[in-house]
Amino acid sequence: MGEKKFVMGNTAIARGALEAGVRVVAGYPGTPATEIVEECVGVPGVHVEWANNEKVAFELCTGASLCHVRAMPVMKHNGTNFVTDFLMHVNFTGIRGGLVLISADDPGGLSSQNEEDTRILVHQYAHLPVFDPCSPKEAKAMVKMAFDLSEKTELVFCLRPVTRVCHARGIIEFEDLPKELPPPHYEPDRERFIMSAVELPQFGGLKRPQIRHRWLNEKQNLLKQIMEESPFNWIEKGEGKVGLIGCGMGYTWIKEAEQFVEGKLPLLKIGTLPLPRRLLLSFVRGLEKIVIFEETEPFVENLCKTIFQEEKINIEVLGRSGFLPADGELNLLAVLEGIKKAGPTVKVNIPETPPLDIHIPIRTRTQCVGCNYRGILNALKQTVRKYKGIVAGDIGCHDAGSFRPIELQSTIYCMGSSVPMASGLALTGMNRPVFAFIGDSTFYHNGILGLMNAASNKINVNVILGENTVTAMTGFQPHPGTGVTLAGEKTSPVNVPKLAESMGISYRVVNPYDIKQCREALEAAVKEAGPSLIVSSMPCYLLSTRRGQKVFEPREVQVNEERCNGCMICINDFGCPAISYHKDKKKVSIDKMICVGCGLCVDVCQRGAIS
Amino acid sequence: MKMDIIISGVGGQGNIFASIVISQYAMSKNFNVLGAETIGAAQRGGSVVSHIRISDGEIYSPIISRGQADLLIGMECVEMLRHLRLLNPQGTYLLNSLRIPTVLNNMGLDEYPDLQEILEAARKYCPNGYVIEASVLAKKLGNIQMTNVVMLGALARIMPFFEYERIKEIVKENSPARFQEANLQGFAEGYKLIS
Repeated sequence: MGEKKFVMGNTAIARGALEAGVRVVAGYPGTPATEIVEECVGVPGVHVEWANNEKVAFELCTGASLCHVRAMPVMKHNGTNFVTDFLMHVNFTGIRGGLVLISADDPGGLSSQNEEDTRILVHQYAHLPVFDPCSPKEAKAMVKMAFDLSEKTELVFCLRPVTRVCHARGIIEFEDLPKELPPPHYEPDRERFIMSAVELPQFGGLKRPQIRHRWLNEKQNLLKQIMEESPFNWIEKGEGKVGLIGCGMGYTWIKEAEQFVEGKLPLLKIGTLPLPRRLLLSFVRGLEKIVIFEETEPFVENLCKTIFQEEKINIEVLGRSGFLPADGELNLLAVLEGIKKAGPTVKVNIPETPPLDIHIPIRTRTQCVGCNYRGILNALKQTVRKYKGIVAGDIGCHDAGSFRPIELQSTIYCMGSSVPMASGLALTGMNRPVFAFIGDSTFYHNGILGLMNAASNKINVNVILGENTVTAMTGFQPHPGTGVTLAGEKTSPVNVPKLAESMGISYRVVNPYDIKQCREALEAAVKEAGPSLIVSSMPCYLLSTRRGQKVFEPREVQVNEERCNGCMICINDFGCPAISYHKDKKKVSIDKMICVGCGLCVDVCQRGAIS
Repeated sequence: MKMDIIISGVGGQGNIFASIVISQYAMSKNFNVLGAETIGAAQRGGSVVSHIRISDGEIYSPIISRGQADLLIGMECVEMLRHLRLLNPQGTYLLNSLRIPTVLNNMGLDEYPDLQEILEAARKYCPNGYVIEASVLAKKLGNIQMTNVVMLGALARIMPFFEYERIKEIVKENSPARFQEANLQGFAEGYKLIS
């Protein structure tokens, strides 16, 4: 028996990998997966790193796997999208050392720009096996087994935890880590690892991609056999003609719902893809209807429908293709409503509570008080207003500048899309200045490619790089501009001015706590033809404070009520949570409890009412 | 026996520390514990809610559903209201009467309900509530960050489930050395807040 600890699902996943003897862990930060990488740090012999993007992380892990070393790339769903091109090759070559992809999904988009179901990408499109855990405890067991099976089948295995598994906290048993790991070795095998359109005489001249596709297709039978015996799928007997299928968190919600349902309905728990076909067929024997609860798309539902069609089984299959909500997270009430609707004779007690008759204001996210982004965003807001500019935004802390009150960025899509989007906006010839705002972690992720493209195509776009030297949004992970590795070793940070010089782009480095300097640089960039770069450079305030480093000299600021005319510029164009407007007095005030004395608002106020 | 607890507040209030103390306490009493928290962008002043589920039996969902919580700890007024319907109206709430305006409140574009209105809505929903000025006390003791330990102290006073001495030990174990003494003082003063 190992030691029992109360830990996050992400810690359980990391521990599972370490117990399985993982030697290389690489990822790019993204909620809800971030802590999985961080929790692997500090184990002797295990290389753990933040890569500059998920594709790099995955490719690096594959390199390690080819040396018979166990490796784990870690990412959120957007990262898996980014990896798709590589995934559609490594599925054909297969791997050597166990390779387990962690692809964390965020149903409901709790901390994401979109919601999606990466089971479809990995299983349907890349034909690779997926485990869908129902709890932190099961996630740990699945990771361990996935490493073994990955080696046995020579295929990448994927664990797809959702936010409620990653961020759950539960009691997890920690077992010993392996004392010794097999030594790495490498033998070339060009028949497998050179993915190219080579003609293969032994296959009648067919090209290698087709033959490798055939290899992957043949693996499916082995996978199906393995899943048939998997401990992650089981049947719980019950009464009646309506059966329930719970996949991952869907199972968890059904178990939660059982206490509100009289009698026990037959239940099939599914944690694997491919599906355990024989188990499924034995489950539905005698049933008239099944309801499938899964996060988030009707994926298992559609796979079941195909199997029933092949087997000529006449059964009603209900789920997230319209019977249950087709978007968002599952929850207790949705599951209870679903059971009630599917089985009119089943007695379901849906918990009710009295309504609340009071207005509850929404609390939107904003930059921290003292954040340097607020300075450059304010300067940009003024410039955009003066020249009728348009701003394409990106992922990161600065995205809050697109919300009320500042409402600056007009578009935000995915990592790195700001510069190409802005380029497209700029080249249409609207005669309006176009800006891209991108943080430095996102810049190194792939935003740099957009900048190179703008440079090589002479596109008149103004790129603002918010260089706070860390991936702040996800909790201060280092990136290529930080100058330190995840393990804390010093490295050489990327020199952005030299990079810009080599691309032939004009650049200006500004201090975001100096709004006047920022504005001058932005105006100069607007007046200049061709691409230009503004590097707004200052370490993250929050991280610096935690480290006891000063990024500004704190000063006491106050509002001179006689000068304040209630114009609200300091609120609408600046949005500092320490400043509030008083309707009765038509004046603003600064809350001393919240203010950290960055002094930016002094320059924001055009009437000199803040000093 | 089961005890489902919600702790709601604003990023930076020490919500997660409180949730870890309560969870470790329950574990030390050999209960099963499962929980969840919303994190991520929380340190930027967003809403933070922790779910803690304690039971002597199996626990499935890490999330507490409508009307199922036995205890709601509101570290901020509006954040308590936001999650009030998770509380069983026969349960208990402990509210810190702190009001942290939202960005839109600051802009004058959205109204933050006044304290009386909030207290009335809460009382109407659930008669068994305690309202304390935990942040005021924490600030008086030297650091508003101690709001969480003050509230844990008050909790030990109102819920017999939480044994004072044992919770105190766990607060101590989880406090960084330089905050240990202050945290224990906050805990003790929080206990005295409720007569």
